[in-house]
Amino acid sequence: MLRFLLVRLVRALLTIALVVTFAFVVLRLSGDPALIIMSVDAPPEAIAAFRKAWGLDDPIWLQYLHYFAAIGQGELGLSMRSGRPALDLVVERIPATLALTLPALALKLGIGIPAGIQAALHRDSPIDRLVMVAAVAGFTVPSFVLGLVLVLIFSVQLGWLPSGGQGSWRHAVLPVLTLGIGGAATLARFTRSAMLEVLGQPYIRTASAKGVPWAAVVRGHALPNAAIPTVTIVGFMVGSLIAGAVVVESVFSWPGVGRLLVVAVANRDLAVVQCILLLVAITMVSSNLLVDLLYGVVDPRLRGGAAGRP
Amino acid sequence: MAGTYASGRRRGAHVPASVWIGLAWLALMLAVALAADWITPYRFTTFDLRNRLAAPFHPAHWLGTDELGRDVLARLIVSIRISILVAFGATLISALLGTALGFLAAHARGLVEQCVLMLADFQAAMPFLILALAVLAFLGNTLPLFIALMGLYGWERYARLARGLAISAGAQGYAGAVRQIGASPSRVYLRHILPNIAATLIVSMTLTFPEVILLESGLSFLGLGVQPPMTSLGTMVSYGREYLTRAPWILLAPAACIVTTTLAVSLVGDWLRDTLDPTLR
Repeated sequence: MLRFLLVRLVRALLTIALVVTFAFVVLRLSGDPALIIMSVDAPPEAIAAFRKAWGLDDPIWLQYLHYFAAIGQGELGLSMRSGRPALDLVVERIPATLALTLPALALKLGIGIPAGIQAALHRDSPIDRLVMVAAVAGFTVPSFVLGLVLVLIFSVQLGWLPSGGQGSWRHAVLPVLTLGIGGAATLARFTRSAMLEVLGQPYIRTASAKGVPWAAVVRGHALPNAAIPTVTIVGFMVGSLIAGAVVVESVFSWPGVGRLLVVAVANRDLAVVQCILLLVAITMVSSNLLVDLLYGVVDPRLRGGAAGRP
Repeated sequence: MAGTYASGRRRGAHVPASVWIGLAWLALMLAVALAADWITPYRFTTFDLRNRLAAPFHPAHWLGTDELGRDVLARLIVSIRISILVAFGATLISALLGTALGFLAAHARGLVEQCVLMLADFQAAMPFLILALAVLAFLGNTLPLFIALMGLYGWERYARLARGLAISAGAQGYAGAVRQIGASPSRVYLRHILPNIAATLIVSMTLTFPEVILLESGLSFLGLGVQPPMTSLGTMVSYGREYLTRAPWILLAPAACIVTTTLAVSLVGDWLRDTLDPTLR
């Protein structure tokens, strides 16, 4: 178990190192970082100081090491637009994003998993058909189209809810629905196929042949085994709590991390983009790590330290 | 490729109506993309200032006009061309790159293989939208760069598939036989192994294609994809959003196009997967 944990931890750190490397490479490809981060009209002595501070006159491998060290100490640069530390700008947007993504996650889990289980248990029934149609629709309708159609119905036609901005809880209803409906459909499809695969296994037939009541077979044998693949996709959803609402925040002018990212990209505010990139990498990697730990708990076969996932 | 799978004989016997409709829609989209210059009623940038925000079914503008009097149908046709071009280009690049890296990993093994697998893990772990946004922020945006960037989407799936399939094909008799008679590695991989695993890769492409369309339209919707004066389906939706209350048709026409096209490709892709390659889930 300890070995399993260590292997996972090393892989997680490697992924973060790769993201830092990615940011470093792309940053260098884009031009002189001193001019980009400090803005062009900064006084020459400030640029010289910056070059010295960041070691931009050093050989590239030394710069790379310094870059790593600086990021390790949490020095993520100043926002070009506001002149404030990029990290502060990003962190103060996180609560707004979580106010959308957490209820949406609850909605996805609350609808997606039961719907998927029901569909699998009643295969080819009207419930199953409905879930499959919803799942296909959830995949083919992009979130911005769904969001705008909801706005068209509930804000423009019916006038029940505001079409954008942040204020009361009523402002959050449409974005949360937009995020939740699409995710619930995906989750339902995954849960359904995981359940169907498990229900086709011989041990299910054995259990019901030896007289175990069906409800107990489902609860005791089918659900725990179907949980394994479902945990993966839920883990991905948890990992995207911070960055999963980029498009939806833009549709509803919601001042969260995603909106900040889009504006920062449009303005080429690189320090902010880089900061969000790292934050996303850290959340994704942590949730993947958590998923791996959960695998260890749910599936004893994986505790031996073997690298592959099922 | 013929006779690769036993189920191949059943191919074409029972094609469901939904797949025919999907194929017909895709053929239409492709025809529109290819013939855009001939079938467009106006140039997509032409103003008709006397008919601004005309509703659909206007005698001169079947799908209406936007606030500058530009014909929605003409813009839709050009948007379809750009979106299809980006999606096709990106899917091809991604399949070529992924397959090449997968073969490289299968051939070289060792450290090279570990590096490819690590990159694939990294790509799968990070949300692609965020990586794409970061690249666009750092490097700026032009259409070729944008297509190349979209071409990085999903390469890791082809790489994993190609690597796994090439390793198992390498263990089979035919690959060993051609190697024995002195074929070069590139000949073994491209002339012998590739045709045998092409079905799986093609299925994978049809499953990636709709995701690329959604990604492109999403980025363009954010104003960070295809840039004006060029227009794509996502750009049109983003633009039409300003006139949601007064002229919803500007937005609904391209939105419907995105949804029907992704739906059509998924229908065809799911059917292809079930028919050609039962091993894929």
